[in-house]
Amino acid sequence: MYIELLKLASPETVVVVTALVVLALGLANERTAGLCSGVAAAGLLFAVAAVLMLPQQATLFHGMLVITPLTSLFKIICLVLAFFTVILARADLSSRNRGEYLALVLLATIGLMLLVGSEELLMIFIGLELTGLSLYVMAGFDKTDVRSAEAGLKYFLFGSTASAFTLFGISFIYGMTGTTALAAIGQKLTTAPVQPLLFVGIVMTLIGFAFKIAAAPFHLWAPDTYQGAPVPSAAFIASGSKVASFVVLGKIVLVGFGPAQGSAAWHAMVAGWAPVLAALAALSILIGNLVALAQTNVRRLLAYSAVAHAGYTLLGLVAGGREGFSATLFYTTVYAFTLVGAFGVVALVRRETGGDDLKNFSGLSSRSPLLAGCMSIFMLSLAGLPPLAGFFGKFYLFSAALRAVDNNGLLWLVAIALFGSLISLYYYLMVLKVIFVDEKSSSTTQPLNPSTSADFLQEISLTVLAAVVLFLGVMPGTLVARIIAAVQ
Amino acid sequence: MIDNNIAWYVLFAPLIAAALIVVFTRRSKGLSSFLSCAAVLASFAGACLIFARKEDAAPALNWIEFPGLFVVPLGLVLDGLSRMMLVVVTGIGALIHIYSLGYMRNDEGKSRYFAALSLFMFAMLGIVLSNNFVMLFIFWELVGFTSYVLIGHWFDRDAAAEAAKKAFITNRIGDFGFMLGILMIWATTGSVVFANIAPRLSILTSNPGFLTAAALLIFCGAAGKSAQFPLHVWLPDAMEGPTPVSALIHAATMVAAGVYMLARVAFIIQLSPVALDVIVWIGTITAVMAALIATQQNDIKRILAYSTLSQLGYMVMAIGLSSSDAAIYHLFTHAFFKALLFLGAGSVIVALHHEQDIWEMGGLSRNLTITFVTFLVGALALMGCPPFSGFFSKDAILALAYEHNMPIFVLALGTAFLTAFYVTRLLVVVFLGHPRSHAARISRESPLVMTGPLIVLALLVIFGGSTFFTGQFVSVPPEHDVFEKVPLLAIGALVLGAGFAFALYRNRPREAFDIGFLRQKFYIDEIYSWLIDRTQELLARISAFFDRWIIDTAGVGGASGGTWGIGALLRFVQVGNLQAYSFFFGLGVVALIYFAVFR
Repeated sequence: MYIELLKLASPETVVVVTALVVLALGLANERTAGLCSGVAAAGLLFAVAAVLMLPQQATLFHGMLVITPLTSLFKIICLVLAFFTVILARADLSSRNRGEYLALVLLATIGLMLLVGSEELLMIFIGLELTGLSLYVMAGFDKTDVRSAEAGLKYFLFGSTASAFTLFGISFIYGMTGTTALAAIGQKLTTAPVQPLLFVGIVMTLIGFAFKIAAAPFHLWAPDTYQGAPVPSAAFIASGSKVASFVVLGKIVLVGFGPAQGSAAWHAMVAGWAPVLAALAALSILIGNLVALAQTNVRRLLAYSAVAHAGYTLLGLVAGGREGFSATLFYTTVYAFTLVGAFGVVALVRRETGGDDLKNFSGLSSRSPLLAGCMSIFMLSLAGLPPLAGFFGKFYLFSAALRAVDNNGLLWLVAIALFGSLISLYYYLMVLKVIFVDEKSSSTTQPLNPSTSADFLQEISLTVLAAVVLFLGVMPGTLVARIIAAVQ
Repeated sequence: MIDNNIAWYVLFAPLIAAALIVVFTRRSKGLSSFLSCAAVLASFAGACLIFARKEDAAPALNWIEFPGLFVVPLGLVLDGLSRMMLVVVTGIGALIHIYSLGYMRNDEGKSRYFAALSLFMFAMLGIVLSNNFVMLFIFWELVGFTSYVLIGHWFDRDAAAEAAKKAFITNRIGDFGFMLGILMIWATTGSVVFANIAPRLSILTSNPGFLTAAALLIFCGAAGKSAQFPLHVWLPDAMEGPTPVSALIHAATMVAAGVYMLARVAFIIQLSPVALDVIVWIGTITAVMAALIATQQNDIKRILAYSTLSQLGYMVMAIGLSSSDAAIYHLFTHAFFKALLFLGAGSVIVALHHEQDIWEMGGLSRNLTITFVTFLVGALALMGCPPFSGFFSKDAILALAYEHNMPIFVLALGTAFLTAFYVTRLLVVVFLGHPRSHAARISRESPLVMTGPLIVLALLVIFGGSTFFTGQFVSVPPEHDVFEKVPLLAIGALVLGAGFAFALYRNRPREAFDIGFLRQKFYIDEIYSWLIDRTQELLARISAFFDRWIIDTAGVGGASGGTWGIGALLRFVQVGNLQAYSFFFGLGVVALIYFAVFR
């Protein structure tokens, strides 16, 4: 039995071992920062290989650990995102305590993999907590910066509150159905009538995820955390944690709470989780986009846009079904890659100019055409312009939402989303305007660290990310086909 | 694996070359031109292989897929038509690449030129191979863009830059119609793939008006690319580009794309008699008008450009007479002899140090023997002289017209007469008589890289006419015995026109008669610029007013002020105070539970 477990959990095992090795290396000697990064990156790649070796289908302990094409695909995506975060970390942090930081990244990654690979509420909760605890520390990791401490504290307080709600909700659900396995819950709900108390349970469970994906009104931590946390931490919180949360959220609502979906159609609203998510989506899109307009700090701007994107992504879940879930998964993946790239650019700019306000980006196109080019791809993809991946992602989401309910019942939600993306174009273009049009004022042109300004590895990884975003826009079918095939 | 993917290799070889040149070998002209030539030769070899083995399938993959709504495969069509076009496009393309090595040898922007040439080959092959409207349209636009780059290759010359813009904009007008047409077809049949449209045509035929509109809009695109009246104005100006470009783009391939596309979608167009009528008359008007204008031009390349227009008119005429076979037959022979003529003209131009005025030439047959002989072959083919290829293909179209539509036949015959006239004029003035300038007296024959392609093309033109040779490539329309009148009449027109011009221009130092109306090309350019001046100025004023006061001030100003204001207000929620945050959090939870349970 345990041999079997070890075999099926081999990717997680690889990452755990890597985390321990990295931690030991970091403690052993202060000057092993480069080695730590190398080991961490190599471990993540090994884990990807291990995922590829897994069998197609397997279930352990009644769904506590599940292997399907879907979980394998998203484990790989989480690992790749962690890989890019590790590379990013080379740019931002001083080499002090590098080992500890990387170990935290790896531990958070294990949490994400458990989240993705489980169909059992308790296990999901453990995954949430494992991820969350690592991320809280990562957010507050920069001890020299008071903003980082603030970011960590806020993230932690919000996170623990949300976790409490989720655990409370899970207990309700267990009380009503007598099980914590998603499939069993789904079966129970089809036979038994849905009671108000169950709704309370569902809503409370969802709150934990609404916090994770930064959906309004549970987004209030996001701006401070995105801005204050070290850049790689913020990137990982915004990408990896979000992708895994959407995968699990989708599984929970579609598999576990499937019968209680209800309907979010405008004139025929039926109580269930769909209208709840629809309300969250609409609120997130409006608040995220509107507040982003008034931001002057790029990381804060990205935080609010993240709120808005969480709203768009929820559209697919509201639509439900295989098509909607695939659209959500495609969009969140594309978004994660785009955002890691955008944060990568921010990290490099921050290292060069000492800040990440909009004004620090002025004249970037002349200083570093490559960074400016990558940033414009990321921004335009976020804004959803063809032929970039963001466009196709939105297209899939909106068309899935329109077709899910008869008589274009979700048209109101799609209309809000379209309105939101219209607004968003403004602030994304503002960033690009600053990069390409505004001249750098002469007083601050001196780069702070001219010696480190050219980090080849990071520029390559940013280029790769930009190429991925472009490629997924030109050939979305390559990923979409995989996702659709993986979603049963 | 390699076996059935050849078509993909043929398509992508030039693109890879273009990419390599742009990214790596920009600075090395020699390497760039080598890469470009190697790619096109590889494509040609692949095309020959495909042709020899009569391949009819290439693997496809789905590119954009919204099941039930919109599916665009990345697929290639391989049938008799596209196999023939592949060989022609890559073959002539290869010859022109080689010729360019000589013609552009001292050019500053040689790398850029070859990169653009390779990209153009990619786009053109894409048009030939596309099996659906979406791919076709993308490559169609790519061809437009690359021809813009190539025409404007010498962008420091104002005329070239202007011509490039003109070509691009005129094409865009046609393409707009084309896109509308595609959308109409897609909206009714629900597919953009040619093979899937065919079985669903009954939906279209039930609504003749709609069908006619769609067919004519698609024809619009062809009219732009193939320079049909009234969108023909860009082609003569495009002669500002380097001469090999003129030969490649404006004789053999790009302008033929319109005709090729019409042949590809003929199954749609032929359902609408009205559309066919419009098309046949547009073709005829173009043929006659261009031939008339050509008689009064003095620039050697412009004369050839107008003759191209006129021949394209013939092809469109054949499409309009619902015989794409005849059109493609003429396209095939025309591609060879017109490329030959342009390359010959290029050889003359190089020998005279970029002199293009025919009245500054004269007596060149003595110094440029190879050029003269090959040019003569091309000219005879263009006139439609019996043993050469042009005779057979033109005869096929004339016979068609004779059979279906008498007025068209008369006009086509008149065009044949005019063609003989202006071609003979060109021959006599350029190659016979006495040299009329110093440059013409001391001219010397071009190098082998330039004369070699000339000789190859001349041989193809001589032997390309026989149905034995041509029958391998295109399905030649059957000869009707009843119509032996037609070839006789055509030869009559030819002899008359040629003799007339010969008598008129022999030993004459300058133009015999001056018809301003024709010299100024029917004043069409002037009419267009007048129209544009008037309408555009008016439209611009109106839209400026609308934009400034209604959209900017009221719409944008109001909306952006409003949204920004709301944003700024909402920002106050973000006070940074943790107690306030947890208050909002709790409020959110309560509101959500209320929303889920109690409403």
